[in-house]
Amino acid sequence: MNNMVFLMNLLLAAAWGAVTGSFTPLNLIFGFILSSIALFLIREQIAFRDYFQRGGKVLILAGSFFKELVLSSWRVLMIVIKPKIKLHPGIIAVPLSVSEDFEITLLANMVTLTPGTLSVDVSEDRKVLFVHCLNVPDPEETIDGIKNGFERQILEAFR
Amino acid sequence: MNGFEAFAADFLYACVSIALFILGLTFLLIVYRIIKGPTLPDRIVGLDLLVVVAIGLIATVGVGSSYTLYIDISLALGLVGFLATVAFARFILNRGQAKDFIIMQEIKDSEKQEEQK
Amino acid sequence: MMSAVISILTGIMLIIGAIFAAGAALGINRLPDVYTRMHAASKAGTLGSGLMVLALGLYSQQWDDFMRAVATVCFFLLTAPVSAHLIARAAYVVGYKPCKETKLDELSVIKKSTEPEAPQ
Repeated sequence: MNNMVFLMNLLLAAAWGAVTGSFTPLNLIFGFILSSIALFLIREQIAFRDYFQRGGKVLILAGSFFKELVLSSWRVLMIVIKPKIKLHPGIIAVPLSVSEDFEITLLANMVTLTPGTLSVDVSEDRKVLFVHCLNVPDPEETIDGIKNGFERQILEAFR
Repeated sequence: MNGFEAFAADFLYACVSIALFILGLTFLLIVYRIIKGPTLPDRIVGLDLLVVVAIGLIATVGVGSSYTLYIDISLALGLVGFLATVAFARFILNRGQAKDFIIMQEIKDSEKQEEQK
Repeated sequence: MMSAVISILTGIMLIIGAIFAAGAALGINRLPDVYTRMHAASKAGTLGSGLMVLALGLYSQQWDDFMRAVATVCFFLLTAPVSAHLIARAAYVVGYKPCKETKLDELSVIKKSTEPEAPQ
């Protein structure tokens, strides 16, 4: 656990060096101090498990996320420039199998940036995510898409 | 400077001009929605998009003047815009749950307009 | 030679970003209600301005500026869905109705059955 925090601190210091554009020892030490302050501020939210071993899965998740973002923007653009807009929007309930707050947040953010869906609310007991869809000819299909797409990938990456 | 490099410089100049023109039109469209927007959330969505497009405009101006400090300015504007949107959303939530008179009136008006369509 | 190729790439990215931003603005003018407008604003707008900031980072041809542009884009991608979600939730809880074409609304059923009437 402590090793993980120290590794994170070193990585953040390296990121500071990359962002400020100089890798002089003095600047790296300053970045180390800054990142230790940042880690101290979020000390209660830190919950590393074996994230670093799962790096590949996380990268696949990020890649598919970018692809879906470009696709969804393209689809919205296509809907908007059509001369006559014919839509069937609706709010559907998606049962969740991810349970932790962090995973729900990640899933809701990804759902918002993917084609035709926008997360509106989470039920009180954190079991159902309410999603507003631009076009729902078939609600079951959309629910299946979310559950078999991002939710499965998140479970694979973080469990 | 050979021919290809001269072409690239001209192409970049033309692209920056076209992008600035499109962004100007975009601002007009968004301002139209903010002025007309029948309800308060519509206006807030418009203001949010206005900040996002302003970030794009700053980046375009940065390319046009080749002054890369504009990246930091756009990052700062993104931060401020996000906080402003969060504050607006909290405002709607609090005022609506307190049954604010103007917001309730607006909801009734929008329902009436929906039925007339 | 290298900088000429980067200039052309930058120009193309600027134009595509501007077109996406214009599409988002057209979307919030043409779509029927606040929830569908949010779709256009949060997706196309984020991608458009993100592309433009990346274009500036690429054009600077320096690692630190490029990394800062990437950090900015990551920040947009994290915050745009959060703000869209907040506005949508606030609008729904307060009672702004979705437009008439909305076919099904499973949230309204649950809200009515579980939430006690707010004090007048």
